[in-house]
Amino acid sequence: MSDSISVSDFWALFGNAIVAALVAAALCGYLGFFVVLRRLAFVSAALGQISGLGVAFGFFIGSYFGMDPHAPTPIYLDPVVLALVLAGIVAAVLGYVSRVERTSPESLVAFAYLAATAVAILILASPRIVQEAHEVGDLLFGNAVAIRREHFVELAAVALAVFCSHAFLFKDFLFVSFDREMAQAVGLPVTKLDLLLHVSIGISVAVATRAIGALPVFGFLVLPAGAALLASDSVRGVLALSIGGAMLAAGGGFYLSFVESWPTGPLMVACAAIYWPLAAVYRLLRRS
Amino acid sequence: MEKAEIGYKRPLLPPFDLSVRSGERLAVLGPNGGGKSTLLKSLIGLLPLLSGQRVFPTGRIPRVGYVPQTHRVDSVYPLTSLQVVLQGRYGLIGLGRFPKARDRRAAFEQLEKVGMPETASVLFRSLSGGQRQRILLARALCGEPELLVLDEFTADLDPVASAALLAEVAQLADREKVSVIFVTHEISSAAIYSTEVVMMDARRGVFAAGRSEQLLTAEALSRLYGQRVSLEHRGDRTVVFVESGRPT
Repeated sequence: MSDSISVSDFWALFGNAIVAALVAAALCGYLGFFVVLRRLAFVSAALGQISGLGVAFGFFIGSYFGMDPHAPTPIYLDPVVLALVLAGIVAAVLGYVSRVERTSPESLVAFAYLAATAVAILILASPRIVQEAHEVGDLLFGNAVAIRREHFVELAAVALAVFCSHAFLFKDFLFVSFDREMAQAVGLPVTKLDLLLHVSIGISVAVATRAIGALPVFGFLVLPAGAALLASDSVRGVLALSIGGAMLAAGGGFYLSFVESWPTGPLMVACAAIYWPLAAVYRLLRRS
Repeated sequence: MEKAEIGYKRPLLPPFDLSVRSGERLAVLGPNGGGKSTLLKSLIGLLPLLSGQRVFPTGRIPRVGYVPQTHRVDSVYPLTSLQVVLQGRYGLIGLGRFPKARDRRAAFEQLEKVGMPETASVLFRSLSGGQRQRILLARALCGEPELLVLDEFTADLDPVASAALLAEVAQLADREKVSVIFVTHEISSAAIYSTEVVMMDARRGVFAAGRSEQLLTAEALSRLYGQRVSLEHRGDRTVVFVESGRPT
């Protein structure tokens, strides 16, 4: 691949996808801070599958209404809108049911993950959406090399909304995550804050999955933040390392994919996975 | 609280009335499983009442500082002691607003008041149990509470540290004119540091309330714990004996 096209040609072809991957990585790297602190790692994996299910379901419903999958669709049949709504609702529900008696959060997340995966595969097996099956498959397993303009705009808009709202509410989200009872005692609206945080994670996962695939999104949500929490003892340090690390892994994944002609999504995750052992070694060295 | 029924879905106790007077230090006494922690959580609104109501003489919910029995320290959170104490002011600062220099100053002053200014930049998770409880007390006080609620917050401390912390609370409460309600199993602490006492158990609910010096009698305590209890006053101290003769 590197022998056949120049860097400028490469940028012309993949520039949008690279920028989208960097934006998605920054968004996931930031949200990963809360995902790891609140033990939501597998919630993010389930949300990726649910997002894929939403897209598959959108195409499936569209086929019943005779919609051309490549033509503009009404908003209520738009696969992305369905993915966003489904991921937002499930994220909110998963946040709430963890506090319901006799409900194990892990088993509920596993239920969401398995049910979403199974139903998405069943929908993809339908002869009604043969054309779209490839696109949904990319969503589930990751394909970061091509992105449509509208998906990029959706991702950028969601990232901007999340970063702006969280800039003001960060301290409150952190307080509710650290000590919900005291946050409630001082008068913070803990249920609304929990809901807003979960929905922002759900919607971010949905648009980022659409842009770069479920595997890199899951990786960026968990790996950089987990490593950053090992390496740094300050909130700012963890955020900087997590966001910077995710973006570096996204860029590194793209570069290696270009040089070695390997699949981009798994390479991004592999780059992000290196941080964890590095952080563990750094921590051990610092202690000694 | 008027005709209050408290519990998780089902009432834990018979309906009761309970009032916390301004500037008083109210001790809640009772055996394990008697609903004391549930009472505190219901009082400050962490749990909704199943029936009855909470009445506020000022017409608004008072500012509350709350210290739980033991804080399950999550070793993942990279928060310093000062950051934890500052959280106590988030109710005053307001949702979506940033802490200002005066908020940080107030948090540091509270750290000084509980005798731990040197831990300001130390990670909360690296502190000992007793130090953490002091930090959580500083956090509760940092929000300029009108009501301080302490749920067996000295349970994990040794007797010396426990007495020292309770004495600090009493002094701070008097100085800052804060009402205090605290759950304790240490009768002698209740005798020393409370001005009023509530006695409760699961069967009778809140069955006695009044001034400490009137209510903390051998008869009342024997009724509360279902064991013969005797008291001995030594100076300003009250030593409690149960039937076996061992001081508690």
